Amino acid sequence: MISPRRRTGDLLTYAVFAFCVLFFGLPLLWLISLSVRTPAEVYTASLNMVPQEPTLFNYGSVLGSGRFQGYLLNSLRLTLAGSIGAMIAAAPAAYAASRIDFRGRRFFLIAVLSLQMISPLVIMIPLYRYYAQLDLLDSHLSASFVYIAILVPLATWMLKGFFDGIPTELDEAALVDGCNRLQAFRRVILPVSVPGFAAVFVLTAILAWGEFIVPYILLSEPAMQPISVGILAFQGSYAQTATQILAAAAVLAMLPAIAVFIALQRFIIAALTAGAVKG
Amino acid sequence: MVPLLVVVTLFYLYPATQVFRFSFTNASLLREDHRYGLESYARVLTGPAFLHVVWITLIFVLVSIALQLTLGLVIALAVQHGTRRGLRGTGLIRTLVLTSWVMPGIVIGVIWQIVLNSGSYGLVNSVLASAGLPRVGFLTGSTMALWSVIVANVWRGTAFSMILQYAGLQAIDPVLYEAAEVDGASRWQSFWRVTLPSLRPILMINLVLISIQTFNTFDMILALTGGGPGRATEVLALHTYNVIFRAFSLGQGSVLAVVMLALSLLFTLVYVRLLRTEDRL
Repeated sequence: MISPRRRTGDLLTYAVFAFCVLFFGLPLLWLISLSVRTPAEVYTASLNMVPQEPTLFNYGSVLGSGRFQGYLLNSLRLTLAGSIGAMIAAAPAAYAASRIDFRGRRFFLIAVLSLQMISPLVIMIPLYRYYAQLDLLDSHLSASFVYIAILVPLATWMLKGFFDGIPTELDEAALVDGCNRLQAFRRVILPVSVPGFAAVFVLTAILAWGEFIVPYILLSEPAMQPISVGILAFQGSYAQTATQILAAAAVLAMLPAIAVFIALQRFIIAALTAGAVKG
Repeated sequence: MVPLLVVVTLFYLYPATQVFRFSFTNASLLREDHRYGLESYARVLTGPAFLHVVWITLIFVLVSIALQLTLGLVIALAVQHGTRRGLRGTGLIRTLVLTSWVMPGIVIGVIWQIVLNSGSYGLVNSVLASAGLPRVGFLTGSTMALWSVIVANVWRGTAFSMILQYAGLQAIDPVLYEAAEVDGASRWQSFWRVTLPSLRPILMINLVLISIQTFNTFDMILALTGGGPGRATEVLALHTYNVIFRAFSLGQGSVLAVVMLALSLLFTLVYVRLLRTEDRL
């Protein structure tokens, strides 16, 4: 027997769910619907979510264009370089902040946190000038370093959280056995924190995939730009004339981030909330 | 430590000092020479655009975070109830809400530009038209455009508040609710007396984090309205970009960047203070 109190709870819950489907779901569904329409059906303002003649033609023409393939490939390169680089730069510092009680440790952690609050736009202003003077614009290698810089604060905080969760007895045992700190870190801590690294990798990769300001400012050559900047160019050329093409491009641009996220959802949420809830 | 310190020095400390330096010059991206002075500060702070941009940013941030916090909490409560009672679709709803959060900001702008457009492919206007109602210029009227940008931002940011609130709800001791029930508290009363006070620390942390995220929003607005019509949705970050990279005024843009930097520092101090009083640092 369900109490009336529970039943109103259920009803309210479903009311909220219905709102979520409408507000969060409909725009996505509309985008997908447009992406499988023929041009004629885009302009008849048909509200049918499933078009009368669904077609994959738009996807074919987007994927078939060398420009779009280039965008995807550039995104992949920048994302991998940024995420992996950020972990490499962050791991030693995160380990030190977790294990060694050095002077100014708290200040260090707060300083790293404050970096994360800074808008990338602010640091991009002088960087653009110096990159231009050093002739480093339109290079993936030099852009990757800025990606790394932007992802490093988050990576440091998250990794420190993981290292905090590993019992110190593990490193102590290694130190007693004659390892130095570096060896203890490499042989004992790294292997057990693989899940931690994986979570940091996925989260920073999702951020890097969507990163916009850095490539928008540093990469002006269309052949070098990632998908986030490329989509803006697509919007410029297709928004009015061929919305179905733009819709297909937008779906393809968000697909990798969403697919990775859905596959590893629990993992990421646990990592993310651990920082905020437990500190 | 060394790799991190190198990255931080090269890409944060040095640029930050340079932003300060540029802000005291009349530098331009178009020429090399510049002289020092307070000219850029005077021009920016007394210019007509600045107050307008600050005002727009303030509305954008305040309304966005109020809606995100409320909606995030409501959805978190619903998801918690759904999970406890094993209601169908709970996991799906949670994933759906989170999907809009992991999307690239530019794509979010593109989606809402399509959804709110006045053309035949605009979802909302097509619905209005089929209901016999007049079309609305969601992106062409000044006030409407600002609301549209806020709605798109809420769409993007609510998920973050939801997961934080959900984690906070999970951490509340069920004994508190039982005690409230024994004392004859209604559902509404136990929400105000138990749930909200227990969530306070996490709500505060959430508030600071989404304020800074919203404040730094740039890409989504660029794709949705481009800051227009006119300057109706030109928030501080977008304005800073435009001053430097469209008007090529490095000096004046750096003044705006200094303002942004000062605000981020302020947010950080508030945040650190919060973490400290809640004993999380």
